[in-house]
Amino acid sequence: MSTLTMVPPVVVLLALAIVVSRLPRRVGHAVGALVPALAVPWAVMVPEGAHLQTQFLGFDAVLLNVDPFSRLMGIIFGLIAAVAVLYSYASEADTTQTGFALSYVATSFGAVFAGDWLTLIFFWELMAVTSTLLVWHYGGKAVRAGFRYALLHGLGGTLLMAAILRHYVEVETFLFASVPGGPETAGITSGLAAALAAIGIGVNVGFIGLHAWLPDTYPRPHIAASVFLCVFTTKTGVYGMYRAFPNGHEAIAYMGGGMAIFGALFALFQNDMRRLLSYHIQSQVGYMVAGVGIGSSLAQAGAFAHVFNHILYKGLLFMTAGVVIYRTGTESLKKLGGLWREMPITAGAFSVAALSIAGFPGFNGFVSKGIIISGSHYTFSKGPLPLGEFYTLEWMLLLGGVGTFMSFIKFGYYAFFHGEYGSSVPDANRLQSVAMVSVAALCVIYGVYDAALFTILPFDVTSGAVVDHVYETYTIPHLIEGVVLAALGLIGFAVTKKPLSKLGRVPDVDRLYNPAVFYGSRSLVVGVTELYAAVDRAVVQATSVVTRTVTAPNDVLARLRNDDSLVHPMRAGIGLSILILAVFVTVALLALS
Amino acid sequence: MIEQIPVLLVVLPIVGGAVPLVASLVSDRAGWPVATLTLIGQVGLAGLLAWSVSTSGTVSYAVGGFAAPYGIELVVDGLSGAVALLVAVVSLGVLAYARQAGPHSGPFYGLYLLLVAGLTGMTVTGDVFNLYVFLEITGLAAYGLVASGRDASAAVAALKYLIIGTVGASLYLLGIGYLLAATGTLNMADLATKIGEMAAYDSTLVLTAFGLMIGGLTVKVALFPLHTWQPDAYANAPDTVSAFISALVSTVSAYALARLLFSVFTVEFLSAVPVARWALVGLACVSIIAGSALAVSQDSVQRMLAYSSVSQFGLVVAGFAIATPLAVVGATVHLLGHAVMKGGLFAATGIIERKTGATTVNGYAGMGSRVPLSAFSFAVLSLAMVGVPPAVGFVGKWYIVLGAVNAENWAVVAVLLASTLLTLAYFARLVERLYFAEATIHAEEPVPEDAPVTDGSGQAVSFGMIAVVVLAAVLAVALTAAVPELQAMLEDTLPPLLNQ
Repeated sequence: MSTLTMVPPVVVLLALAIVVSRLPRRVGHAVGALVPALAVPWAVMVPEGAHLQTQFLGFDAVLLNVDPFSRLMGIIFGLIAAVAVLYSYASEADTTQTGFALSYVATSFGAVFAGDWLTLIFFWELMAVTSTLLVWHYGGKAVRAGFRYALLHGLGGTLLMAAILRHYVEVETFLFASVPGGPETAGITSGLAAALAAIGIGVNVGFIGLHAWLPDTYPRPHIAASVFLCVFTTKTGVYGMYRAFPNGHEAIAYMGGGMAIFGALFALFQNDMRRLLSYHIQSQVGYMVAGVGIGSSLAQAGAFAHVFNHILYKGLLFMTAGVVIYRTGTESLKKLGGLWREMPITAGAFSVAALSIAGFPGFNGFVSKGIIISGSHYTFSKGPLPLGEFYTLEWMLLLGGVGTFMSFIKFGYYAFFHGEYGSSVPDANRLQSVAMVSVAALCVIYGVYDAALFTILPFDVTSGAVVDHVYETYTIPHLIEGVVLAALGLIGFAVTKKPLSKLGRVPDVDRLYNPAVFYGSRSLVVGVTELYAAVDRAVVQATSVVTRTVTAPNDVLARLRNDDSLVHPMRAGIGLSILILAVFVTVALLALS
Repeated sequence: MIEQIPVLLVVLPIVGGAVPLVASLVSDRAGWPVATLTLIGQVGLAGLLAWSVSTSGTVSYAVGGFAAPYGIELVVDGLSGAVALLVAVVSLGVLAYARQAGPHSGPFYGLYLLLVAGLTGMTVTGDVFNLYVFLEITGLAAYGLVASGRDASAAVAALKYLIIGTVGASLYLLGIGYLLAATGTLNMADLATKIGEMAAYDSTLVLTAFGLMIGGLTVKVALFPLHTWQPDAYANAPDTVSAFISALVSTVSAYALARLLFSVFTVEFLSAVPVARWALVGLACVSIIAGSALAVSQDSVQRMLAYSSVSQFGLVVAGFAIATPLAVVGATVHLLGHAVMKGGLFAATGIIERKTGATTVNGYAGMGSRVPLSAFSFAVLSLAMVGVPPAVGFVGKWYIVLGAVNAENWAVVAVLLASTLLTLAYFARLVERLYFAEATIHAEEPVPEDAPVTDGSGQAVSFGMIAVVVLAAVLAVALTAAVPELQAMLEDTLPPLLNQ
């Protein structure tokens, strides 16, 4: 066992979280950024295989399981955590919040390096707890949103737990298939377990209908907390989805396509910057879910490439939005404008991130989104509604791409380019700029040198022996596709700009189920309380009667007979006793003979 | 020498009992020292006998040299040896209590020792008619002791006890007659072989004898519904007597019942006549439930304790009637443990009444601080009776339940478990009153006028009285350690009785 595999990363990071919350702000954040940064080389070098096999709650467990999937997650989680801690320091986050954030990072590491379902669900639930704490820490409106967040994730976690238990009943082990002693087939057993797992994980990845916590929660806490939040929960969800469905599932693939469109569409309606970005998490995670759902090695490599890239540009987007809020105090796009003059670095970083997320050639989103779309075309069925050469899932994903262009043109237009900003505001401070520029640089590097990305993917997409269809990023049709999407996005925005600006807040599903849950639980509580009170009254009444009869039977009997002279009406006298004895013996003898 | 001990055990208290009677003509003060000396000797002899039984097995002695089956035989095995030792120890302990609590008259100690003689005789005898004789001696001494209380209710209680007890004993005698008619012998060992040989187990003679003898003893054991004499007797007798007879009289009667079951009718009879076993088990179960229910409904603590005995003896008889080795060990442990616990509880009520005037459950409120040591002992004994480990009450019930489970007698298991809850119901009420309730009787208030003053010996409480109660509480826990020894002793001597 090498030194790299002696302790699971979660232990180190949890200790770090505690240390950071106790240290002075500057030192704490320095240490807090350094250690996750060291996790990147650790994740690159740690040998593959199942380490730290142990017993957990009496079952076989693997606390450190390294394969290409978890390695990729470890690299990007460490990288973004380091940058986000730096950004937290620059954005005046206190050490307690960063401590919570690092515990959230730690539990995410625990989840993606788990080698069995039990460890995975354990850290999965802890992630929900730590992220809720991170949201709550900000106070104010974040508290109620945090409650809703915790409730939904508790529900999702429970469903996943049920799925895992059902799975355990079938295969009699919690271990993953790749781990020694694991079951023969990977993934969760089909049937009920699979359905439960899909819905449970679906909460985390934001399935349509289960996604409302995303735009509800992420805009509310501290701007640095949003950077952490946008990374870990949904991406760990994608990772979990892969573990549960290593061979994909058609329904999941189409759900991914739906999410891509739905998220982009609703993002278009938003004026709150972080709310808009949150819908885009759903949209982008839709691509990843589609990739996992397709199930081919090409699509899954694409999904994980997209996880990697998405974490970079979405982290960057939340950072730029955060800087705008930090400097202007305004969340709404309607009150902003012309900021590129005031904060050129932020505007530049935003542009890179926006082009990346939209998938414009030369940026990393173009690479990974391309792999998934290629997978949807070459390695997936045509589907029920093929449009010409475009397969069903393919055009869904492309349509989502158009929506993404539109909404980021909208974001950029209203925040940075449209009109003039009334007053003078400074640009991002130095450390914020360092954080943003370094991530922006990575977005471009991985976009241009796509081979750098390909080397860390679980499947080599450039080798025909590994994938069904060899992927090449920069081909003429693919470039045209990227540019056409951008053009369509531009036209679309120009056409819809006016109606969109008049649009108020568009209701999402949570408008429906928040009151439903509120009034439902309220009536349940009231009903239960009233019922309990009624039962309680009846029981107390009955009990007092019984108690009286039992503890003072003489009184009761005397009262029944209306005769106070009977002091001990139940006490047998001598004659009665003898009578009883005689009867008793007679009965006994009759019974015996 | 060892063979003579059984007869010495009976003779010694009879002789010792005569001395105070004579001495009382001169002085009333001679009674206690004489009784103490006698009983110290008794404890020594009983201890020697029990040790001898546990090392070298059953001891038997033919009275007057007439060999069994014609002469009277005294037989001491593990069961009777343990009960004989219990009788000696408890009567010596209660004596320490009586030093202060009284009554102080010479005749009282005479009756006291006579009762010890009767109880010991019942324990060691190997002859059914001899058992009847000692049963009557025990009864007469007990009636007299109950009547030694000064108020009228004690006399009434004693009369009730006398009439019902005598009828019960007569039924037993009637049963002996039937047995003699069936087999022509009175010796237990001889009867055990002849019942079944000379008269079939299900012959009318044997069945009638069984019904009458067990029915008669049931009166003495005070199982529901034949318990009616018992609460009056226990509650109205002087505290010393209450502690004494509650600890021993029913206990030895229950022992006699077990002796009849195993040494006379034998387990084969129970197997051959399942209705007999079912009747006994059913009676025991009814007694457990009814006794507990009646105990819950009592105001007076002493009456509550008396009804508690009805329930606990149901438990013991159930254990004997199930008659698997484990259940018999459990029943014996509970029989002995109950004697110590119940005697200690009655003694504690006496102390609490003398110090505070409290006699009722409500009166016990807040007394934990007024009489700390006695109240604490009372609480310990109560919990031991409920069956909280590691007290001996737990061990006994545990073995009985295990035995019932082994016999797959699930109804009994359910009743036994329910009985623990019921026991908890009335004892928890008392412990809660003692420690967690606002006092209803305050120190500055004089003792209520109408509080029953049991004997005129004043309200003082001696060190000896408290020592007895504390010792009982300690024993209630410490006896658990002796259970393996007792179990070994019973397993050495019981298999021939159980034939299993």
